[in-house]
Amino acid sequence: MARVELRHINKRYPGVQALDDIDLDIESGEFFTLLGPSGCGKTTLLRTVAGFNRQDSGEVRVAGERIDGMPAYRRNIGLVFQDYAIFPHMTVGDNVAFGLRNRGRPRQEIAERVARALDLVRLGAHAARLPHQLSGGQQQRVGLARAVVIEPQILLMDEPLSNLDAKLRIELRDDIRDLQRSLGITTIYVTHDQEEALVISDRICVMQGGRVHQVGTPWEVYARPATLFVASFVGAMNVIADLRVGAGGALALGLASRLAPVLAGRDCVTLAIRLEDMTVAGTSEDVPSDALALDGAVDKVTFAGREAFYRVQLDDGPQILAHVHRPERRLLERTGARVRLILPLANVHLFDPALGRRIEAVS
Amino acid sequence: MSPRWRPDFWSGVLVVALAVVAVLMVWPLYNIFSASVIDNRSGALTVANFAQILGRPAYQGALINSLIVGVGGMLGATLLGVPLAMLTTRFVIKGRDLLATLAVLALVSPPFIGAYAWIMMLGSNGWMRALLADIGIELPPIYGMFGILLVFSLKFYPFVFLLTASGLGAISPSVEEAAESLGAGPWRRFFKVTLPLVFPAVSSGALLAFVLSIADFGTPSIVGGKVRLLATTAFDLFTAEMGGNPGLASATSVVLIAVSMAVVVLQRWAVRRRDIAGSLIRRPSPQRLGPIISAAAHFVCYAIVVAGSLPSLVVIYTSFRKTSGPVFHPGFSLDSYARILGEVPHVIVNSFAFSTGAVLLIVILGTLIGYILARRETLAAGALDSVLLVPYIVPGVVMGLAFVVTFNVPPLQITGTAAIIILMLFIRRLPYAVRSSAAILKQIKGSIEEAAISLGARPGRAFLKVTLPLMLPGVIAGALMGFITAINELSSSLILYVGRTMTMPVRIYLSVLDGQFGTASALATILLAATGLAVFVVFRISDRKESVFV
Repeated sequence: MARVELRHINKRYPGVQALDDIDLDIESGEFFTLLGPSGCGKTTLLRTVAGFNRQDSGEVRVAGERIDGMPAYRRNIGLVFQDYAIFPHMTVGDNVAFGLRNRGRPRQEIAERVARALDLVRLGAHAARLPHQLSGGQQQRVGLARAVVIEPQILLMDEPLSNLDAKLRIELRDDIRDLQRSLGITTIYVTHDQEEALVISDRICVMQGGRVHQVGTPWEVYARPATLFVASFVGAMNVIADLRVGAGGALALGLASRLAPVLAGRDCVTLAIRLEDMTVAGTSEDVPSDALALDGAVDKVTFAGREAFYRVQLDDGPQILAHVHRPERRLLERTGARVRLILPLANVHLFDPALGRRIEAVS
Repeated sequence: MSPRWRPDFWSGVLVVALAVVAVLMVWPLYNIFSASVIDNRSGALTVANFAQILGRPAYQGALINSLIVGVGGMLGATLLGVPLAMLTTRFVIKGRDLLATLAVLALVSPPFIGAYAWIMMLGSNGWMRALLADIGIELPPIYGMFGILLVFSLKFYPFVFLLTASGLGAISPSVEEAAESLGAGPWRRFFKVTLPLVFPAVSSGALLAFVLSIADFGTPSIVGGKVRLLATTAFDLFTAEMGGNPGLASATSVVLIAVSMAVVVLQRWAVRRRDIAGSLIRRPSPQRLGPIISAAAHFVCYAIVVAGSLPSLVVIYTSFRKTSGPVFHPGFSLDSYARILGEVPHVIVNSFAFSTGAVLLIVILGTLIGYILARRETLAAGALDSVLLVPYIVPGVVMGLAFVVTFNVPPLQITGTAAIIILMLFIRRLPYAVRSSAAILKQIKGSIEEAAISLGARPGRAFLKVTLPLMLPGVIAGALMGFITAINELSSSLILYVGRTMTMPVRIYLSVLDGQFGTASALATILLAATGLAVFVVFRISDRKESVFV
C-alpha cells in the first residue's frame, strides 16, 4: 500500500522529448493506467519508475520516499512484462521463488509464500513444470505470481496482455483486476488498448508525444475528453475539423443558436461526436432546440451483428459515421436514402482547433 | 541529487576489454603500419617500400598471384558449394546429414594438411598419379598455381555450401511459387527470384573463401612450387637470415590487409539493402527426382564431399603405414606414432596446453565483451565492435609479424615464451567468441534479466543466475570452435615459435618440408582426432548443428 508521486519528470532521447514534465499522483491502492499510442512515452515512464530508465530530471516518490536514485534491484517494485520474461531454465516454482531468494528469506517461508502465490493465480499444481510446458496465458500468470509474491510496494505492468489472443486477454484481464483488488496493491498499468484501459482502470492517464493529455476516471476520459487527441484515441469519434463560425457565433453546419455564447469571438472550431450519441431521423423530423441537425445521404451501410453503422455523406462537407442500435432488416437497405442526423448539444464536443483543448459547449 | 553516471561491473569489463584490444591488436598493427612507411636505415618517412611492391616485377607478381589465388579459390569454392547447397536443400538426397558432417570436418581441418595430402596423391611420387599413369592418364605434378587452387577450392567450399544452404532454407516456397504462377519457368525463376534472395549468403561464403585463400601461408609454401604470393613473400622477407627487410615485409603485410579490406567492402556494397528478412510461415520441402537425375545428383554431391574429405583419409591411412625415416614399406605399424612420442612429445603437450589456455581467456573475455556489445549501446562499445572486425581481415602471417615487432623489445618483451603464442591465439580468435556470444544474447530477451533485477538481484547476480545459464550451450560451442581453430593454427605460430614452444602444426609443416610424411601424418591424425572430437561435442550440444561453423 503506497502512494506514488511523480514530480516534473523529463527524459530526452536524441531528437525526441520522450517525457515532458510529467507530474502525476497515484493514490494508494489505485489501479492507474497509462494509455496512449506507441511512442507516447508510457513505457518510458513505467521503466523510469521501475528503475530501468534514468530520467534527466524530476522525482519519483513511493510512500513519501524518493526512489529515483536507487538501482532497480533495491526498489521494492513488482514488474510484469509484455513478453512474460519467465526464466526458461527454471521451474515455475523457482521462477516465483527467485525474488524471495534474493531477499534471503528462510526456506520454509519461501515454500509457503510461493505455494500461496501460485494458488492465487490458479497454478498451484504446476510448480514443478518448466515454462515451455505452459501456455502463454499460464506463463503470464507465473509472471504475475512472481511479481506479487515479493509483496512489492507497487506493481507495474507493461502491456501484459498484448501477446495473448483475444479470449485469453479478456479472461486474464479480469483475473488481474480481481487480484489487484484483493491485494489492494497500487498498480500502474501500461496499454495502448483503450477498451482494456476503460474496463480495468480506476483512473486513466492518456499520453501522447511524451505529454499527459488527461487524467481521469474511465467515464471522464470517455465522456468528457479534455483534448481532441483524447477524444479521437478513446472510443470512436466523428471529428469535423475547422468549422467556420459565422457572425454572432453561428456554425457553418446545421443550426447552432444555443452554441452562440461559447463560440462568440472565435473564427473556427472543431466539432466531435460519438457514433452512438446521435440519432438518425428522416429529413422532415423536427429539430429540438437543444440539438444540432445535419442533413445528408446514406453512403454505405455496414452490418456487424448486434449493431450497424451508416456512413452519411453530409450535404455540405464531410462524411459522418452513425451507430444504429438494434438494426432491423429494413434499416439495412437504406443506401442512398436522405437522412437527418440529430446531435443533442449535450453530446457534442467542441475543441479549439489550434490548441486541441476542449471548449465546454453547454455549461 | 542529480542523475549521474555510476561505474558498475560492466564499465569495468569495458575498460579491461579496451585495454586488451589496444595492447594486443591496435599497438602491434600500428607498428606494422609505421614500419611500412619508414626507411630501415635512416628512419625517415618513405613510400619507397610500397613503390617497390608495385614497381618491381617480383613483388608485382606476388600481388597478382595473390589476387589470382583469392579469386580462383573463391570461384572454385562457389562452384562446388552452391550446387551442393541447391541439390541438398531442394531435392531428396540420401545422407544429407552425413554430407553436412563431412563438409564440416573438411572445413575445420587445417588447410596445410590438405596441401600435403594432395602431394602424396598427385605430387611427383604421388600414388594416385602413378595409378592414373598405369591406366594411361599422364598428369603433371600438382605443384604450382593449379595445386593451390585445387586445395583451396576443396578446402573452402564448405563455407559457401553451409551458408548458402541456410540461406536457401530461409526462402519461403511461396515466393518461388508466386514466380511460377506469374509465368516464370524454372531457369528464369532461379535467376530472377531464388538467386537474388540467396545472394547475400552466397557472397558472404565466397568472401570468406577469398580472404582465407589470400591469407593462407601453409598451402602455397607446401604445394605452390615456385609461385610467390604476398603471404609467403612477407614471411620470407622477414625471416631471411641475411638481409631481412622489416620495412618491405611490413609494406607487403599492409598491401595484404588492404586487398582483404577492399574485398570486404566490395561484398558489403554488393549486398547493401539486400538483408532480406522474410517471414517464414512455410518451410521449403525437398522434392523427389526421377531415378536417373537422382543418381546424377547423388553422384555430384558425394563426389564433391568425398574429394573434400580425401586428404584427411589419406593422412590417417599414411600415419599407420610401416616406415623407416622418410621411406614407406608395405604393411601397417605404429612406427610413426612411436617416433613422435619419442622425439617430440612436448609438441603435442604444447599444442593442447596453448590452445586450452587461449580458449579459457577467449571464453571469459569473449562472453563478457559479447554481453556488452549486445546489451550496452555506448560509444566505447561501438568502437570495440568495429575494432574487433580487424582480425577477420588480418592474415596470421601479418599478425605474427606484428607481434614479433612489438613484443621483442621492452616494456613487453615476451618473444620466445609460451605467453606470446597464447596471446596471439587469444587475440586472433577473440572476435569469433565475441560475435557468437553476442548472437546468443540477441536471442535471449533483455526483459528476462530486467525481471531478475526487479526481483532484487544485483546486475552481477542477475547475469550469473539468469543470463549465463541460458548462454551456456552457446558459450561451450563457441569455446570448442575456438579450440579447433587454435589447435590448428599454423601461420602465426610459425613466426612466433622457438624450439621449446613448437606446436603440432609447426612440426607437421617442418616435417613435410623435410619429406618426413610418416611423422607428419601421425601428428596430423592426432590433430584431426582432437578436432573431430570437438566437432562431435558441438554437434551434440548445439541445436543449430553445422551452421555453427560458419
